[in-house]
Amino acid sequence: MENEAKYPTEKLKCWNKAKEIRLKFYKDYAEAHDNGGLRWAGGAWTFDAIPAGLGDDVFPITSEPYGATIAFDKDLSMECMEAAEKEGYPRDLCSYMRNYWGSIIIDKYPFGYDEKGQFVPRFKGAKSLGFPKPDFIWQDHICCSHAKWYQVVSDLEGGIPMFTVDNAVGPSNELNDSKIKFVVEQLKDGITFLEKATGRDFDDELLYKAIKNHFISTSKWAEICALNKIIPAPLDEKSIYSLYVLGTLQKAGKQVADFYEKDLLPEVQDRVKRGIAAVPNEKFRVMSDTQPPWSFLSIFRYLEKFGCVSIGSLYTFGLIGQWEVKKDGTWGAKTIPDVEFSSRDQALYEYVKYELHKPEWQHFYSCHLKSDMMIRIAKEWKLQGVMLHYNRGCEGLTVGIAENRLALLDAGFPVMAFEGNNADEREFDEGRTKAKINAFMETLGAK
Amino acid sequence: MITMGIDMGAKNIKIVILKDNKVISKSNVLAGFDVTKAGKKAIDKALKGANIKKDDIEKTISTGTGEKLAPFFDDNKSVVGCDSLGAVFLHPATRTVIDVGAEEGRGMRCDETGKILDFEVNEKCAAGAGAFTEAMSRALEVPLEEFGPLSLKATEEIPMNAQCTVFAESEVVTMVHNKVSKANMAKAVHDAMASRISSMVRKIGFNKDVTLIGGVAKNVGFVDSLNKDLELEVIVPKDPEYVGALGAALAASGWKGGK
Amino acid sequence: MNLRKKVNLIKRKGGNNIELIEQFKDWEKNRHDYAKQWKEKSGGKVIGYFCTYVPEEILYAADVLPVRVLGSHEPQDVTEPHIFAMFCPFCRDCLAQGLKNRYKYLDGLMIAQSCLHIRQAYTSWIKHRPVEFEKFLCMPHKVQSPHSYEFLTEELRTFKKEVEDWTGKKITDNDLKKSIEVYNENRRLMKKLYELRKREKPPITGEEAMEIVIAMQMTDKAEHNKKLKELIKKLEKYTPDREVGSRLMILGSEDDDTVFMNMVEKCRATFVIDDHCTGSRYFWNETENGKDPLASIAARYIDRVPCPSKDWEERKRIPHILNLCKEWNVDGVIIMQQKFCDPHELEFVAIQKALKDAGIPTLFLEFDVTVPVGQFKIRVEAFLEMIGEEDLF
Repeated sequence: MENEAKYPTEKLKCWNKAKEIRLKFYKDYAEAHDNGGLRWAGGAWTFDAIPAGLGDDVFPITSEPYGATIAFDKDLSMECMEAAEKEGYPRDLCSYMRNYWGSIIIDKYPFGYDEKGQFVPRFKGAKSLGFPKPDFIWQDHICCSHAKWYQVVSDLEGGIPMFTVDNAVGPSNELNDSKIKFVVEQLKDGITFLEKATGRDFDDELLYKAIKNHFISTSKWAEICALNKIIPAPLDEKSIYSLYVLGTLQKAGKQVADFYEKDLLPEVQDRVKRGIAAVPNEKFRVMSDTQPPWSFLSIFRYLEKFGCVSIGSLYTFGLIGQWEVKKDGTWGAKTIPDVEFSSRDQALYEYVKYELHKPEWQHFYSCHLKSDMMIRIAKEWKLQGVMLHYNRGCEGLTVGIAENRLALLDAGFPVMAFEGNNADEREFDEGRTKAKINAFMETLGAK
Repeated sequence: MITMGIDMGAKNIKIVILKDNKVISKSNVLAGFDVTKAGKKAIDKALKGANIKKDDIEKTISTGTGEKLAPFFDDNKSVVGCDSLGAVFLHPATRTVIDVGAEEGRGMRCDETGKILDFEVNEKCAAGAGAFTEAMSRALEVPLEEFGPLSLKATEEIPMNAQCTVFAESEVVTMVHNKVSKANMAKAVHDAMASRISSMVRKIGFNKDVTLIGGVAKNVGFVDSLNKDLELEVIVPKDPEYVGALGAALAASGWKGGK
Repeated sequence: MNLRKKVNLIKRKGGNNIELIEQFKDWEKNRHDYAKQWKEKSGGKVIGYFCTYVPEEILYAADVLPVRVLGSHEPQDVTEPHIFAMFCPFCRDCLAQGLKNRYKYLDGLMIAQSCLHIRQAYTSWIKHRPVEFEKFLCMPHKVQSPHSYEFLTEELRTFKKEVEDWTGKKITDNDLKKSIEVYNENRRLMKKLYELRKREKPPITGEEAMEIVIAMQMTDKAEHNKKLKELIKKLEKYTPDREVGSRLMILGSEDDDTVFMNMVEKCRATFVIDDHCTGSRYFWNETENGKDPLASIAARYIDRVPCPSKDWEERKRIPHILNLCKEWNVDGVIIMQQKFCDPHELEFVAIQKALKDAGIPTLFLEFDVTVPVGQFKIRVEAFLEMIGEEDLF
C-alpha cells in the first residue's frame, strides 16, 4: 500500500460555505410560503432561469439531488422506497424517483428543526418536516423517466399544475434553428402557463439576470474541473460531489454562480499554484462514471489507500458544466456568450442555444459520442484507468455504458466495471466491490 | 523455499503447500460458519500431510472472499491474480482463465507471466455459479456428482432462459410437467449455466488457451456445454479447485510465469 | 426438436384452419426469407427499423422496404458486452439478431427517438454490424406541444433529403401521396379486421391477429393489403366453431409473444383487442390529407395513440384503453409488462387503477424473452375463473 506522502495537502477553505448554501436551499424551499413566496419542483436539467422570472422569492427543489439526499439518510431511504414499492412501482425504476415519491407518500422531508431551532438534516437530530408540496412543476424531458416522474408526483399530491419542456432535439453537432426554436417556443408557452398558474406577471429583467447566472455557473464549474488536469489533482471526486451538487440544485441561482466564480475557482487556482494535492500520496489517476453509489462514497476514500485519486468523471464535469474544444484542440470551459439581452425571444434563444451543447445530453443520441468524450478526458486528465459504475438506479446515465467500456478498452485504458445503485443501497455490495478494487489496483501496478 | 497459499473460498477453504514450487501437500475443508476455525483445521491437515511444522513455512499468502479471516498470513493477493498465476503455472499457454466456484463465476485475461490484463465477475447471479447446479440437482432429485455425467446422455437440446435463476426454476417445473427426461433437463441446466459464463467471458474477450478452474470444472456436463458455447476445448487441470491456493503459494515464493 | 417448435406444431395441428392466415404466419416466421426474396425480385433496398414512430411512408415512397426488427425469443449470450443486463430483454433480443448476422441483407438501419432501452440496440448494431445507411430520427417526445408539428416536419424534410441521397431517387410529393395511400389502406383494412373481433364470436383469435399484425410490419404493404382484403372477405361470413370464453384485452409495451397468446386462448378465453407496441398502436391512426404531405405525415405520428414514453403531461392512453374495453366488450385485461421497461412501469399503476375504477379486472404478468408458460397458465386460469364467476352474478 502506498502510504508515504508526496505532496502537501489542505482542506478546502470554502467547504463550509458550500454546505451552508446547500442547507439554505432546502430551508428556503420548506419556508417559501412563510413570507408569501412560491416554491416549485423540477429536475436538475430543467430551464430554471424561467421560474426565476416570477420573482425573488421563488424557490425550487430539484428532483435528483433530492433523491440523493434521501439516499444518504439510509433509514429514511428504506422507508421511502418501500412505500413506493407498496404503491406498485417496481424496483428497477430510477431510484431517485422512488425515494422522492416515497417521501411524498410517507410525508417526510429529510430536514427539520432541532431543539435549538436550527434547520438541520433529519439524521442530525431534527424532527422531519412534512414534505412541502410545490406550487407548480417546471420540468424538462430528455430521459424517459423525467416527465412521467412528475405525472406520478402530481397523481400522489392530488394534482399540481405541471409544465414539461421537451429538450430532446438532437446532438449539438446537428443543431439548427428549427431545433432551437422548438425548445424556445415551449419555453414561451411555459411562461404563459406560469403566469396563469401563479397569478404573477413575468419579469424579463429577472429572467436575463438568471440566464447570466446560468452562463457563469456552468462555465466556471467547467473551468474548475479543467484544473484537475494538473498533477497532482487539486480536487478528488468525493469532494467534487459536494461541490458540483450546487450546480445541480440551482445553476441559474446567483448564490451558485457567485460561489463557483468568486469562492471555489480562485481557491482551486491557488491550490494549483502552490501544488496542493487532494490526495497527498497521489500515484494513480482514474475517473469514474455515472452517479456514485451515494450511500457508499467511502469507496473513494478506499481508493486513496492505494494512492489512487479519481479526478472526476464526465458526469461531474458535464452534467452541469459546459465545455468546448479550444484552439489547441483540448477541452476547456465553454466561453460565456458575450451578449446583451434585448428581448425575451432573443434571451431565450441564446439560453437554449448555449444549453443544448451540454455534454451529458449527447449520449442520448449516441453512446459513441459519450465514448469520444470519455476517451478525451482519460487522455487530457492523464489517467491510468477508469471505474465504471454500472448503475441500476439510473437508466438515463447508464444507457450505452457497455459500449463506453469497449471503446475505452480499445483506446488502451484499463476499465473496472462494478454494479450498484445510486440511491438504492440494497443493490450495492460493498465487500465485493472492494475486492474488485483490490484486483483492479493490482492490474494497475499498485501492488 | 516452503510457501503456503490459503484460498478462503465462500464454501470451501483450500490450502496448497509448495516446496521449491512443487506441491508437497494440499487440503480442502468446508468453511462453515467459523471460517477462521475451519481455516486452522485446513492448515493443520495440510501441514500434517507434508510432515512439516508451521514454522517451516517461509511465507504465506491468503486469497479469496474471506482472505482477511485466514488464521494467519503475510500478505493478501486478489483471487483473480492468484487464479491466473496458478493457471499459467500449470499450463503456460494459458491466456484466459475461467473460475467457476460455489458462489461466483469469474473470467480473466492474462499475459504469459500470469499478470491480469482484464477481468470480469458474475455479479449477484447464482445462475453463473455452482450454487445453481446444486439447487437444480436437488430439484431433480439427482445426486450432484451424477448430475454432470447424466447431462451427457441427453437426446435433445432444450433452451432455458438463463437470465435469472428464479425464472429458470419455473422453466424446470414446466419441463417436468411436459415429461422431459431427466437427462435432457440436466443438459438444459448445464447449457443455461454455460451460457451465463460464456456471456461473461465474451465481455472481456477470450484468447487461447482457455483454462477452466474452480470446483465446477469437475462437472463434465458443464465442461461439455461450455466447450460447445465457446467453440473450443477448455483446459481443465487436475484438482481444478486448488488453482487459486496454488497461485497464492506461488506468489509467496515470488514465482512469475514466462521463466 | 426444442420445446418452442413442439408448441408451434401443436398450434398448427389444433389451431384455426383458415389457410389464408397461414400466409401471414409464414411471413412472420420466415421474415428473413421474405426480405431477401423481395430484394432479389425488386432490386430495391431494405431498411430495418426499431420503433413504430419511424415514418415508413417516406421510405416506401423511395421504393425502400422497411422491416421491423423484432427478437427471436431465444436465450442468448452475445449481447452482454454491449448492453448492460438491466435493460429490457427485448432490446437485447433485437441486438442479438444483428450480432448473430441474421439481418446481413439490410442496407439500412433506422430508429425514431422513443425509449432509452431500444436505442442501445441501434447504437451497438451500427458500430459492430455497420450498414450503408443509418438514421436516428429526432421524433419529439412532447407530442402534446402544438410546436411539435413544425419541428417534426422540419426533421422529416431533412430525413427525406437523406433518403434521396442514399437511394439516388428523388421523392416527389406525388410519390409521398401514393405511399401514404398504400399505408392508409393497410391501416383501414387492419382496423376493419379488428372491428370483426367485436362480434360475439370473433372470427379470429388474438394469436392469429398478432401474427397478422406482426407480418404487417415485415412485408410490403401492397402485398399485405391484397392478402388482408381476401382474408376480411372470407371472415365477414365466417363463424368459428371454437368456444370464445372470456373476452380479453392484452396491453403493454412491446409484445410479440405468440406462445403466450396461444396458451391463454386454450383456457376458454379469446383476446379480442390489444393496446401495445407490436399491436394496434402500430396501425391505429391514418395520415390525413393535407397540402404538404410531409406535414401530414408528421401530424399522423404526433397525433397517433402514444407510446408510454410520450404519454404526458396528460394521460391520453387511459381514455383510449377504456374506450377499447367498452367497444370490444372486454371482460378482463392482461397487463403484460416487459421486464425492466421503464415507460410502461411508470404507467401501469395508473392504468390498473383506471381499469379497477371502471370495474374491469386485471392480471399483471412480467414478460422476458421466453415466458414460463406453466407458471403463467396457473395464474391465467385462476384469473379466468375469477372473472367467469363475476359474470354469473
